[in-house]
Amino acid sequence: MKNSRKLALIASIVLLAVIGFAFMPAPKKITVKGSDTMVILAQKWAEIYMKSNPDVIVQVTGGGSGTGISALINGSTDICNSSRALKSSEMDKLKERYSSLGIEIPCAKDGITIFLSENNPVSELTIKQLGDIFSGKTRNWKAVGGPDAEIKLYGRENSSGTYVFFQEKVVKGDYAPSCQTLPGTAAVVNAVSKDIYGIGYGGAAYATGVKHCKVKKDDKSQAYLATAETIAKGQYPITRYLYMYMRNRPTGDAKKYIDWILSADGQKVVTEVGYFPVK
Amino acid sequence: MIGGLVLPLLFLAMTLQAQMKVQNDLDTVKQKVSTLNDKVAGVEERLATAESDLAKLTKIKLSGYIQAQWVNYEASNVYPGNYFMVRRARIKFTYEPINGIVFVLQPDFQPGNITIKDAYARANDPWLKTFSLWVGKFNRPNYEVEFSSSSREVPERSRVIRAIYPDERAIGAKLEVTPPKFPLKFQLAVFNGNDGIATPDANGNLVVLQNIDYDNYKDLMARLTYDFKLGKWGGLTIGAHGYYGRIKANSLTALNSDYTYKSTLENLGKSVPKQWFGVEAQFYADVLGGLSIKGEYITGVNSIPGITTSASAVTSTNVIKNDTLWMTTTLTKTSNSTPAITKSFSGWYVYLTKNIGKRNQVAVRYDWYNPNTKLAADQIGTAKYDASKTTKDPNPVKTFAGNVATVTQTDNVYTSKLNSGTSDIPYGTWTFAYSYYFTDNIKFMIAYEMPMNKKVGTVGANGNGNVVSAYTVNGVTSAYDYSNVIKQNVLTVRMQVKF
Repeated sequence: MKNSRKLALIASIVLLAVIGFAFMPAPKKITVKGSDTMVILAQKWAEIYMKSNPDVIVQVTGGGSGTGISALINGSTDICNSSRALKSSEMDKLKERYSSLGIEIPCAKDGITIFLSENNPVSELTIKQLGDIFSGKTRNWKAVGGPDAEIKLYGRENSSGTYVFFQEKVVKGDYAPSCQTLPGTAAVVNAVSKDIYGIGYGGAAYATGVKHCKVKKDDKSQAYLATAETIAKGQYPITRYLYMYMRNRPTGDAKKYIDWILSADGQKVVTEVGYFPVK
Repeated sequence: MIGGLVLPLLFLAMTLQAQMKVQNDLDTVKQKVSTLNDKVAGVEERLATAESDLAKLTKIKLSGYIQAQWVNYEASNVYPGNYFMVRRARIKFTYEPINGIVFVLQPDFQPGNITIKDAYARANDPWLKTFSLWVGKFNRPNYEVEFSSSSREVPERSRVIRAIYPDERAIGAKLEVTPPKFPLKFQLAVFNGNDGIATPDANGNLVVLQNIDYDNYKDLMARLTYDFKLGKWGGLTIGAHGYYGRIKANSLTALNSDYTYKSTLENLGKSVPKQWFGVEAQFYADVLGGLSIKGEYITGVNSIPGITTSASAVTSTNVIKNDTLWMTTTLTKTSNSTPAITKSFSGWYVYLTKNIGKRNQVAVRYDWYNPNTKLAADQIGTAKYDASKTTKDPNPVKTFAGNVATVTQTDNVYTSKLNSGTSDIPYGTWTFAYSYYFTDNIKFMIAYEMPMNKKVGTVGANGNGNVVSAYTVNGVTSAYDYSNVIKQNVLTVRMQVKF
């Protein structure tokens, strides 16, 4: 009799615990995936937001814009970070799967910075010279006013939005086969800092320990460094928006998070990380 | 004194010994480093080879899907009325040896039948990134045709699309123009034109020719679409497509859509037209999740080739009349012909699709197809063409030898007729479907299709219509009377795995 009472008591406790756990509010989780260029910015946003919203977990991973967009299409991320706009083929997949065009949220501006070794005497290049260098037509620094030495190219992997944007905007064709592809702009900066004849490209937020190269539209134009001012004024020729994409218009916690990113507080983080605010 | 010398010497000897040991150790280390260097160089070399091999493999992409389903037909002329089937079992091989050059091969492995669905090469222009040239077998440029079955919200394409683009794919060449910074797409294609269509062979049997044309006429097809972004309202794509082709008539008689005589053709190789035009629109909005409304309207003329066969037979008769033996030899030339007919048609469809969350999708579609717009409902079954006639030889050859008369004559039997009937019946179909995406790779669908024929024909005094089709199931012969709406709904429960 006593045993059965004990058993009943234990069973009741277990049942109550199960019911209790079932009704416990689950932590609100927002997954963010995509652009490696944006990963530091996204992590910083997440870190600050989670401090003031402890019931929300924002999980950030990189992998490249293409990877993020694929994750958005296959439903494995809530927000996709992308350093390039959606391609029409990707939008078609969203249409097919979700009957939606996706929601594009420009959240920061970036100037693609050209990195040179601090010991490289070259300090400015035109868009055409850069295109020729990265397509392999120009292979010696001498052709652009530098020393008589072979140019070493460092770039991003083809899943990167930076890779695609730089290809469309500057290279305008295929990259030279000799261009070493590296996983992330930080790796490009690191490689160029150790190679006196190296040249690389990437987001401005990563650029430490290397020289920034001034860029001009053509021979007759003035050369500019990628700064908040030159990007805001549209003077720096290789600028782009950084985007967040969602399948549908954000609601609930995701909406609150995005509203915060676009607020003055969120945009302050953009400046702190080294990018440029959209507002 | 001696002690004073011995100690430094001993120290020197020990130092030398220690130096020699260090030197030996250094040599050993150097040797080991050198060996390691060689090994690393070897590994690097192997890695480079492996990377090179791997890079080749990354140029090949594999994708595909399997659709297995259970279908239940409510139509009484279908037996078995329910069964499991593999609707699709496809693997798509895509090989891109260099940027912009793509080879695609997609076989379909249905049990007992392996067919090649896609087999084409595509070359993209590397300069403007705008043009691409396709050669081989690929989808015809039309919205519903190009919308993959793996993504479609309902089990089957609309009736009008299945009628004018059977088998979806065609063999030919296509130029596609997609300017990267302009939301426009233009496709211009030339095809054999007979793909998926049953055409008559020399014996009058209908066959679907594979990998070869039925005639010398090539069909042109073009499609233009333009995307509008409507801000917070979503987006709209509008477009139009046209088909301009001809098909070998295979008959000396061509009929109008209402089964009246149109013309006599010089020979069987002359052609009849296949020409139509369609407009389309797809609207996408975000209303608590994705919502789309998509539709298309197509109208034009479509021709069905005729069937012409001929045969000869010789018969002999012997008759005694007035003491004379009449030996008559008759050569009967028979020509059976089904005239070619050019039918005016129209068809349209509208989809309403709503996505609920990431996993659920509901869709409703209504589609309408009238295969012969020139016949009113009550003319179907009555409209017919019949020019059959038998002509006796007006001048038989007669020869006489005594009491024997020999007659040689040639008779002609000419049959040329075509009746309106079930192929002219308009259909409207409601389709309701719900899809659940268990994961991005696995989708379940349950769908109910309700095809409804228009009531056609005339009803006689006995209450029976004149447009009927007989069928036999399990030894029992029955008939559908199309003066009624025939129940032919279909329930489909499908599982799809896509990779």
